[in-house]
Amino acid sequence: MHDVLIIGAGPAGLAAAIACREWELNVLVIDEFPQPGGRLLGQLHQEPSGRWWNGIDEARNLLDKANDLDTKIRCGVSAYHIEKVDHGFKVHTNQGVYEATNLLIATGAAESAVPIPGWTLPGVISIGAAQVMTNVYRVRVGHKGIIVGVNVLSVAIARELQLAGVEVHSMALPALNLVNEEHGHPKKVMDRLLPIAHLAPSAWVRLGRYFARGTWARNLAVRFYPRQGVKIWGIPIHLRKAVTKINGNDQVESVTVCDITPDGDLIPGTEQTISVDFVCIAGGLYPLAELAAVLGCPFRYIEELGGYVPVHNEQMETPLDGLFVAGNITGIENAKVARAQGTLAGLSIVKRMGQVTGELEEMIDDAKERVQREREEAIIQFHPGIQQGRIKMEAVYKKICTT
Amino acid sequence: MKGLEKIIICRCEEVDLEEIRQTVSQYGSSARETKLRTRAGMGYCGGRICRPMLDAILKKIMGDKPQDQIPLKIQPPVRPVTLARLGDGLHHDD
Repeated sequence: MHDVLIIGAGPAGLAAAIACREWELNVLVIDEFPQPGGRLLGQLHQEPSGRWWNGIDEARNLLDKANDLDTKIRCGVSAYHIEKVDHGFKVHTNQGVYEATNLLIATGAAESAVPIPGWTLPGVISIGAAQVMTNVYRVRVGHKGIIVGVNVLSVAIARELQLAGVEVHSMALPALNLVNEEHGHPKKVMDRLLPIAHLAPSAWVRLGRYFARGTWARNLAVRFYPRQGVKIWGIPIHLRKAVTKINGNDQVESVTVCDITPDGDLIPGTEQTISVDFVCIAGGLYPLAELAAVLGCPFRYIEELGGYVPVHNEQMETPLDGLFVAGNITGIENAKVARAQGTLAGLSIVKRMGQVTGELEEMIDDAKERVQREREEAIIQFHPGIQQGRIKMEAVYKKICTT
Repeated sequence: MKGLEKIIICRCEEVDLEEIRQTVSQYGSSARETKLRTRAGMGYCGGRICRPMLDAILKKIMGDKPQDQIPLKIQPPVRPVTLARLGDGLHHDD
């Protein structure tokens, strides 16, 4: 029986483990990936200060700290079911059953697919898979590809592919259908790009200024969007072109691209075929909360947080006694926020295990402030309304726990 | 051009968008009923890939608003697991 079992060895899970070990709790961390670090392992980007954020180094720092504190971490362990039992939880994994008094679910996020004809052909992969192949396994995704879906994550990973010497022909939207309105409608996509406008050279900064003036300006920006796209790091980004299908017999050979109206409708006669040997689809992230759902934790749909999220409070507690959540399962944000949430969750668990000291209370308050600070200082926000989303969730928790 | 090309939604069970659209339009079906009628979401991955897409289709056709529970109930096992493993209940205390 462990004091705490942590599912997920990413930034949130490892930071939580460190906090718990510093207070000498009996901790076990499990992760289904063969190595710890979670999605940190794939990250590589330059911050506005000029400093490079290298996820592999960040993961190594966390891991070194965890190891110094003799933290037990088991990789290749995949949890498929959890039961609530007296005084704790029973976690069923491919390596057997583990029991713990407290449980922290820090399983991160999953990617949403972008369904267009041909998206199941070999050679089509999600943008996150391309990141893992490139930066974790150091395997070339292909020689020349196109990215379908323009968002904060896909623009960042396009840059990573480029740094690794993979040719990204361009980025374009998926052709509109019943499923992908959020990703195929130029105006909706434009709205979501505002937070990264500053990464682009002058053309985008100019577009960015339009945004500030309201919807009519946004509409103008989409209407007069350059036909040749707007380049970021030399990669043309198209908001007025859509990929209508991915072609190939046994694998990707080309894509068909078509001009679109400001509302995303195809303009007949503008079809073009582009030869590529891989395609990345980018439909954004959603909180991966299956295990919390299996436990019967209440959920809420909060768009700003990325979808269905387990109900939790600012201290990362859920309404189920002993169940905590941290990281992207609570809402899609960056790794620094996840790490700060992990520390906070760890300290909340220490408190639940009976520690009542002024020092701990102070640390909890500091950890809460840290989460807030990381959120405010985030260079890239996955959803501009993240703060409102967090406020909504806090209100839901209070309502549920007082009735 | 629209509708001529098959768009797979559930990879595991190979259910395409047109089949799901027809089913939802004809029966006004919920997420669960759509799953039972088409098998979308019943495959190997447990719906991890197609669940958000199914939600989007139902929202678009039926005007379903997001609720307080995940529309298509998530049930264990949430990862593929062998029958041998399910059976033995091996305990770990390390």
